Amino acid sequence: MPAMNFSTFLMTIAAALREEEGPQLAYLLKPVEEHGKSLIKEFRNPTRQSLSYYEGSMESPWDEIAIQYVLVVNHCAKRRAIEAFKEQCTLISLFFRYFSSNTGWTLPALFSILRDLRDLAFDADLEARQRGQGGTDNMEEAARVISKAFSNCVTDRQSPKNESRRWGVYYVVGLILKSYFRVKRISLSKNILRAIDANPDIPPLHLFPRSHQVTYRYYLGMLSFLNEDFAKSEQELTLAFYHCHIGARSNLERILTYLIPLRIFRGHLPSRELLDKFPVMDDLWSPFITAIRKGDIRAFDSALERFERRLVDLNLYLTLERARELCIRELFRRAFVALQKSTRIEVSIFHSALQIAGEEVSVEEAECLVANMIYKGYMRGYISHERQIVVLAAANAFPSLADRASPYASL
Amino acid sequence: MSAAASSSKTAETTAKVAEPLKEDESQPALGVLEEDDEFEEFAVADWDDAQTNLAHLGGNPPGAAKSKGDKLWEDNWDDDDIEDDFSVQLRQELTKKGQGGVQPMQH
Repeated sequence: MPAMNFSTFLMTIAAALREEEGPQLAYLLKPVEEHGKSLIKEFRNPTRQSLSYYEGSMESPWDEIAIQYVLVVNHCAKRRAIEAFKEQCTLISLFFRYFSSNTGWTLPALFSILRDLRDLAFDADLEARQRGQGGTDNMEEAARVISKAFSNCVTDRQSPKNESRRWGVYYVVGLILKSYFRVKRISLSKNILRAIDANPDIPPLHLFPRSHQVTYRYYLGMLSFLNEDFAKSEQELTLAFYHCHIGARSNLERILTYLIPLRIFRGHLPSRELLDKFPVMDDLWSPFITAIRKGDIRAFDSALERFERRLVDLNLYLTLERARELCIRELFRRAFVALQKSTRIEVSIFHSALQIAGEEVSVEEAECLVANMIYKGYMRGYISHERQIVVLAAANAFPSLADRASPYASL
Repeated sequence: MSAAASSSKTAETTAKVAEPLKEDESQPALGVLEEDDEFEEFAVADWDDAQTNLAHLGGNPPGAAKSKGDKLWEDNWDDDDIEDDFSVQLRQELTKKGQGGVQPMQH
């Protein structure tokens, strides 16, 4: 849009309202566009007072929203992020007055001003840090403002179904969760998840635009992962992965970073085709996958050691450590295959297998590892402790990992 | 957790602000993802199946592996046809050892 003065700006907003053009309204309220720059030139050092002349010049609250917009744009241009953030908060609370008494046609504008709010909060926290005041006050405040948007979406009881503000719910929730993750206040997320559960009038998730679905499922998957509900996490991340746009590579990578280890526990190893598409995933996971395929405990341990820092940063270290038992299971299976699948194998054979794999353990420890494997369903059979013999089931002594009923139960 | 996190307005409390964050970091349930990297906004709001990995599934629901038609995940990788160096070594040493031991029981 070309440069415009304030009167034209007001008229253009009025036209967007009249025609109910959501995307146009979103565009008009973006603080970085050309029309914003021309407005700052018009009002050198605008303040709310100097602009109060325009109050009443159009339907409320849009006169005040337009004034707020000029203040935000001006602070942005002067690189005053904290002030810009504050004025954007005010702009949004004025916007809510209009939003909450209309149908959902303004949702594109809501999404856009909330996104800008989060960006400004990020910059404001950065600015505060540069001034020596640490903390994440601005981002936390942004999360509170966005939560109000959630309430304003959910409470729509008048609009026809197709035009309901409820269609904004999952996008807004995605922004809230992003903010909580950003400030590391992840435990606050459960309030918003509870609020979703408590509102059966929200349309089913699969009817929302895919971008909303995927973002929401990603965060739900991450929350479940951090709460050690691995089965739920795997389901949500699987859906996030398969519904994600194939062009959104970094999002796909982020999903796979957690989905791959979770799938490994189910006995689903990422194929060469999948790893070739995502070289970063190939670098990170191939050493573990190769070790698990071979039952090579030594290679597994050295991969774990090599990637320790990165895995700790990603909260994946403990999970990966537990994947070591998949490696031991494959080692024992290979010992079993090497002995022509005998159903009676001495404990000392498993002990030797461990030693060949570089695992310096006593015979007692080896016996304990076998017992553990049986207990966790990796092997079927029992140990005759007196005779030091492992008696294996005649059929399916090592059930396929993919067939285990609850692969995460023992984690 | 201390209340200092949300009241960093005065100069006195600013020094404490970093502490609660450190506590957060040490709690395994509150994960810390890589700092400046977050789930990105999508360039478009919606798209159809052809622009997703659902295309790999041939109509099956997501969640399965190769044996059920999803070639992105392998589930039959632990076969008995094992010929890498490590396994050959394992077989040699174990059969050497196993020969003196119990014979497989025949049913």
